Amino acid sequence: MKKIAKAALAAVLLVGASLSAAAVERGGTMTYGRYADSLFLDPVLNDANVDIWILSNLYDTLLLPTDDGKGVQAGLATEWKVADDGMSVSLTLRDGIQFSDGSPIRPADVAWSLKRAANKDNGIWNFLVSSIDDVTTEGEKTVVLKLKHPDPAILAALTVFNTAILPQKVFEAAAGATDADKAKAFAEHPVSSGPFVLQSWDRGSTMKLVRNEHYWGKGEDGKPLPYLDGVTFEVLPDDATRILKLNSGEIDGAEFIPYSRVEELKSAGNLNMELFPSTRVQYVTMNARPQIKGKDNPLSNPKVRQAMNYAVNKDAIIAIVTHGVGKPLTSYMSSATPMHTGDKPLYAYDIEKAKSLMKEAGFEKGFDTSILVLAGNQDEIGIATALQQMWAELGIKLELQQVDNATRTQQYRDGVFTMRESAWTDDIADPNEITSYFVYSPTIDALHTGWKNEEADKLFDASQKEIDPTKRAAQYARIQEIYNGDGPIVPLYETPYPVALSKKVHGFLQIPLGNNFFGRAWLDK
Amino acid sequence: MPLFSFVLRRILQMIPTVVFILVVTFVLVRLLPGDPASAMLGDRAIDADVQRINASLGLDKPIPVQFLYFLKNVFIGDLGTSIALKLPVTTIIMQRLPVTLMLTLMAALLALVLAVPLAFIAALKREQTADALIRGTFQVGLSMPVFYIGILMLTVFAATLKWFPVGGYGETFGDRLYHLFLPALTLAFSFSAVLMRNLRSSIIGVINAEYVDFARAKGLRPRIIMIRHVLRNALISTVTLFGLQIGTLFGGAVITETVFAVPGAGRLMIDSIYGRDYPMLQGLTIALAVLVSLTFLATDIFQAWLDPRIAR
Repeated sequence: MKKIAKAALAAVLLVGASLSAAAVERGGTMTYGRYADSLFLDPVLNDANVDIWILSNLYDTLLLPTDDGKGVQAGLATEWKVADDGMSVSLTLRDGIQFSDGSPIRPADVAWSLKRAANKDNGIWNFLVSSIDDVTTEGEKTVVLKLKHPDPAILAALTVFNTAILPQKVFEAAAGATDADKAKAFAEHPVSSGPFVLQSWDRGSTMKLVRNEHYWGKGEDGKPLPYLDGVTFEVLPDDATRILKLNSGEIDGAEFIPYSRVEELKSAGNLNMELFPSTRVQYVTMNARPQIKGKDNPLSNPKVRQAMNYAVNKDAIIAIVTHGVGKPLTSYMSSATPMHTGDKPLYAYDIEKAKSLMKEAGFEKGFDTSILVLAGNQDEIGIATALQQMWAELGIKLELQQVDNATRTQQYRDGVFTMRESAWTDDIADPNEITSYFVYSPTIDALHTGWKNEEADKLFDASQKEIDPTKRAAQYARIQEIYNGDGPIVPLYETPYPVALSKKVHGFLQIPLGNNFFGRAWLDK
Repeated sequence: MPLFSFVLRRILQMIPTVVFILVVTFVLVRLLPGDPASAMLGDRAIDADVQRINASLGLDKPIPVQFLYFLKNVFIGDLGTSIALKLPVTTIIMQRLPVTLMLTLMAALLALVLAVPLAFIAALKREQTADALIRGTFQVGLSMPVFYIGILMLTVFAATLKWFPVGGYGETFGDRLYHLFLPALTLAFSFSAVLMRNLRSSIIGVINAEYVDFARAKGLRPRIIMIRHVLRNALISTVTLFGLQIGTLFGGAVITETVFAVPGAGRLMIDSIYGRDYPMLQGLTIALAVLVSLTFLATDIFQAWLDPRIAR
């Protein structure tokens, strides 16, 4: 019976696949409205999502993330094997791969690119591949990564933008004395390994990508990818303008649709309002130090933090701020992050419990405190105003301090903030990045809150070298249990990426890590 | 020759102004909390990275030392490299400032085209329906925020009627003029309201002056009286206002550029402040200070031409 069911399923999938294969159309340029322009197109030295989220269209990696963002699949490498002792990874390169200038992608380019990514002096992403000790080549097709210690996240790291493969000779021939100078020169006219090549870039206005004729990917029709002749990014910082431009047909897609417009665009006949699953979590960070600037800090008491958590009606905030687009968090990490545990919303609203916890903590009458809010940001102001009212029930007087981002970052890094609002998105399909920042105290003092838990720190250290997936999952389950119980945050909600696309756009994908993939996108004629 | 020495004097006066602005900008941006590396790397920055990057930008040196380096470089025409965009500041300014300049010029021209004839009509038909109608319409323009007028213009003339593109910036010169028309009109709307009101009351004041009565008694044709005697004298205070308002127009361009997705210097300025991009911010401030000073100079020259007594 099972076999028949499987065969039936296979048949359905085959028919589906052939139908869609017949439907694919080639050619055309897709115009995509972005909220901000990119800054710097070097995979290793960039530092912002505006770069990261489009880089994979230009530069290919050895492995690619799966569409759900949780696993890996073949990229420039077709086979990969982690040694039994976990101390090395050997990868076999795909046959006939070439850079956009037609030169072959050699193991030497791969070794050089990975060593550059792992170099401690280069950029801020080298921690993702800090386990790499050396990279060697064997013959024409094999690359071997020698590791300092077993690294369970090494395969996921090989899908991340900073491990993209660049042509060593072209990069080194670029003008400039240092790696940073060469990167500046190279990134102006990069030689690509991904599905597209940079054609022109009018900063602050438009960026044009055209198809890379040498890309290895094959489409559903058996011909080379990408389907599109090109992608044009238009920088449209104003939300209303971006949507007007989409509605008038001047662009084919628009990112970061405000939550308040999602319902309206869902019912628009000419658009598909996509909500791509994401790893984005929204939360409030609480400074857990006993004293801030010489004053006693009630937030250092775990019971106070728990009370404040129970007093927040997350469903109400989700309704007010995200217009119902978000959902409550079930752990500090998003449900799209691998090894996430938890099926119940954290701290379901319970005002009585909150009050009794405040009493136990000795703060029956509440206290005065403050929160840093990004000036002019409607979502943040909305959340803070809601918190102000909700916490007033506990006698807590919350002062809203509106500041700009750099000011907030400074207070945050100095550990002198009281509370702040934050959002987080993963860059790697592994829980280690978010956990190292949120939980593990050596990285940045658990979000600069001064919170520290010996057991969680030890578990994290162990999990970074644990190659048995079951054991590692158990470590992460315990870390989440500890942090979700008395961690220094108020988890608010997770939200998808709201992207509106013209009905003629097909195959566009934004994965949970945020990367926009145009390689399989195509347009109706 | 009085006009020539007047211009020379005014140009020399510009130098200390620009230097003063230079010093103030240099100090003020460094007094803002936060530093470029933290702003650039955001919340995830670890101390080692922040220190490494700030050192590579020379920001670990004392501020007076940084200022000397900066001055030296400004004198040889090097404004440094943008921290965020990693390109020479002069290159970026040459790309973005002309856009704002074109937008502002178009807005100023449109404002004049709207304000001058309408001010005449309003003044000549004082307290009549036409006057009330003109003043009423401009009052609306003056009281609505620029971004709202912008969105209204986009919705009506671009998205619905499709006469203009919905924001953006074209590729050829003609295409760019076409793209900039709506944003310029948006800016011109509130600008012309200010000009129109001022010019209207000046005309009313001048029209009753004795020399106008005299010109009339001489038998001059009404048109000649209007252009030579009324407009020329009424314009003096409006020209001052026009010059002063150009600075405000640059400010309004920031919002208009965002709404209409115009890649001008206004948006760049905002991004540079948020990103604590010191070299970019310094470069832009110098460029804008010179531009505004030049506008004031042009205003003064024009005024001196209208009323030669000023140059003496």
